[in-house]
Amino acid sequence: MQSHTITRRVFIGASTFILSVPLLASSFNKQRSLIEITQDGQFFSSSELTVLSDVADIMLPKTDTPSATDAHVVVILDAMMLSWAVTHTQEQFRACIKLIEDLATQTYDSVYINLSLAKRSQLITELDSRAFEQKKSNMSVNYRRLKEMIFHIYYTSEQVATDYVAMPGGYAGDISKTEFEAAQKRGYL
Amino acid sequence: MSQSSSQQYDVIVVGSGITGGWAAKEFCEKGYKTLVVERGRHLDHPSKEYNDMKAPWELDNHGLAPERLAEEGHYGMLLAKKGVLKSDSIQFFADDKEYPYSYPSKRPFMWTRGYQLGGRSITWGRQVLRWGKKDFESNAKDGHGVPWPIGYDDLAPWYDYVESFIGVSANKDGLDSVPDGVFQTPWEMSSAEKYIAKNLAKTYSDRRLIVGRAANLTKPTAQQSALGRAQCQARSHCQRGCTLGAYFSSLSATLPAARNTHNLTIVTDSIVSTVDYDEARGKASGVTVIDAKTKEKRSYKARVVFLCASALGSVQILLNSKSKRFPTGLANSSGVVGRYIMDHFTGVIAKSEVLGLEDRYAFGRRPIATYIPNYRHEKAEDVDFIRGFGFQTTARERPKIATFGKKSGIGVMAKEQAKQDKPWEFKALMYGEMLPYYDSRASLHPSKVDQWGIPQLHIDAKLKDNERNMIKQAAADIQEMLEVGGCSNITIRETPPNKHLMVGNRTHEMGGACMGADPKTSVLNKWAQAHDVANLFITDGACMSSCATQNPSLTYMAITARAADHAAKLMEQGQL
Ligand SMILES: Cc1cc2nc3c(=O)[nH]c(=O)nc-3n(C[C@H](O)[C@H](O)[C@H](O)COP(=O)(O)OP(=O)(O)OC[C@H]3O[C@@H](n4cnc5c(N)ncnc54)[C@H](O)[C@@H]3O)c2cc1C
Repeated sequence: MQSHTITRRVFIGASTFILSVPLLASSFNKQRSLIEITQDGQFFSSSELTVLSDVADIMLPKTDTPSATDAHVVVILDAMMLSWAVTHTQEQFRACIKLIEDLATQTYDSVYINLSLAKRSQLITELDSRAFEQKKSNMSVNYRRLKEMIFHIYYTSEQVATDYVAMPGGYAGDISKTEFEAAQKRGYL
Repeated sequence: MSQSSSQQYDVIVVGSGITGGWAAKEFCEKGYKTLVVERGRHLDHPSKEYNDMKAPWELDNHGLAPERLAEEGHYGMLLAKKGVLKSDSIQFFADDKEYPYSYPSKRPFMWTRGYQLGGRSITWGRQVLRWGKKDFESNAKDGHGVPWPIGYDDLAPWYDYVESFIGVSANKDGLDSVPDGVFQTPWEMSSAEKYIAKNLAKTYSDRRLIVGRAANLTKPTAQQSALGRAQCQARSHCQRGCTLGAYFSSLSATLPAARNTHNLTIVTDSIVSTVDYDEARGKASGVTVIDAKTKEKRSYKARVVFLCASALGSVQILLNSKSKRFPTGLANSSGVVGRYIMDHFTGVIAKSEVLGLEDRYAFGRRPIATYIPNYRHEKAEDVDFIRGFGFQTTARERPKIATFGKKSGIGVMAKEQAKQDKPWEFKALMYGEMLPYYDSRASLHPSKVDQWGIPQLHIDAKLKDNERNMIKQAAADIQEMLEVGGCSNITIRETPPNKHLMVGNRTHEMGGACMGADPKTSVLNKWAQAHDVANLFITDGACMSSCATQNPSLTYMAITARAADHAAKLMEQGQL
């Protein structure tokens, strides 16, 4: 019975290691406003992780709410490449990192991570709008999949999903904003 | 090698889902030694497999089912239903690669199963609606299918009985189409839903928007509390299993009640391949099972057999139970076993906004939708179909602007905009009544078998003109109702007539061993007892002679409790 359950959990991709995965070693490059990841992940290399985490932070920067890095998006993504993604997706995401590096070289004649934050942001912003304009190209497909996953992990993270109420205790369907906000704050009806 | 258990039970119940749980409880409480035979694994309650206590970030892969499953051809049907297969509840669904069935390549059929102790009672949607008088009269009236041998009045006291036990939170709406019952405090409608409901009631005498009727406890009774069941906390994680036992499942309610009597024995990982027939006595003698792990055969004996393996599961067992007397399957002298397979169907999805209520909000996650019951039982002059449809609807909470994960936009703007509240959105999904067609059929595949050597079920069912015509009308009706209801920005998605609509998609599969008064045209009598085999009862969805528009499980429960009561009386009288 026990072994059957375990086999089944493993089979359906159940994994607990994502939660306990250690944060990756990194250093902050002040001049370029860039987090340089100095340790390989479970799937991505340290240089891929550096680009990925920078792209994720450009997509979801720190405001009054956490950034993608604050929400450990890329660490979780790295782990999910083994527990969730198939080879095709792994290749797509790697291809997308390469695309970003190629775009940097073509546009600015520089490797991506040596660009200023302003230029990196401009590059990703441009890529984002192009990817949604011409959805058929491989570039677009790869980018949109990666973006979707970054956003999914971000918005379901503990740091960001702070309005998630575990035990609402009941349902009130017709209340004012003040009543709603008070209930949210209490975490209970 | 086949082994035979020396113990003789009073009753064998095949399956431990919604109906099997009920049969077990009823017989155990009446003092009968009852054996439940379940093909799936054992689960405790609360179970370690429940994920209801987990936050989004604690779920495996943040809630996503691993991609490998699709690539390797697992869960094909559930994956086709986009967004349904998630890591929080995947363990409660059967994988069609592991448990294959067959269908014509042009007409796929969706068979959603839950192979574990508790069956689909763990994952069901808990919408519990009584059927009305007209639903039981329709076959006789318009000549489709086999006339029901029972009417609403036969079931009414049993509806009361099961509702009292399971706990139904609902409003007394006073509608003939979905009669009121024994209810606990209803869930509230949202501000948008109330607004639409009020507008509809002003214009129509026959169309109502009501709050759904949920098998979730809002005011547990002493009996429910004694079973360890607590009040629903409006988490709406029901499909993950409920540690609080706040919604009705076999695991939280019927099986514990049965266990309390000490009359219950459960064997899991035991696949019933046949119901065995004693030619000399003209009765079922018990069941033969194949051990799911060792593949060894063994048999169990009992005075009475209740098939509760879900509609198609029971049909498969019947068809596979061949004997000299029943060469085409047990209790099949009529040739009707496997016929009249039905399901609800949807061909219309409507979305709209409800403007002007931007200062109103909802808190909590109500575990049930709202509902527009069927208002088209009578064939009107201006329509080209019979029977009718209802709508499962919802505007439970104020939505936010969706995140920019799937659209253009990044950075501060994307974050800020995603936080903004949107106007209320009201969605409606048509649920139509499929007619009972004789050629809508489940049979045994002539050559394909599963890994236990049991012939695969081949299911061939399709929607016909009556259903297609209903879809057209439902699209027009919902457009009109949303306008009358005060909705704006209405969009209607209607399935085109040439696109195959998969029967089974609504997971309310019914038929295959229908009830009827005439043994020549039906399988079961008015007690869900086989015409041909007096000690065999089939009380899951297979017994249904028509499918109406309401979610059916409450009716299965009432039929099961009533059948168990009848069988017990026959046992007392020495007739079984
Ligand atoms: C996602 C979802 C939402 C739903 N929502 C609703 C709803 O809101 N309202 C409603 O009324 N219904 C709903 N349903 C349908 C409802 O779940 C079924 O109608 C109900 O579970 C049927 O009860 P049952 O006992 O016949 O079958 P199940 O609950 O499916 O139980 C059958 C049991 O038999 C076992 N079994 C099968 N074959 C064998 C065999 N050969 N040997 C031994 N054991 C066997 C299975 O493993 C299973 O445990 C929903 C279903 C799903 C999946």
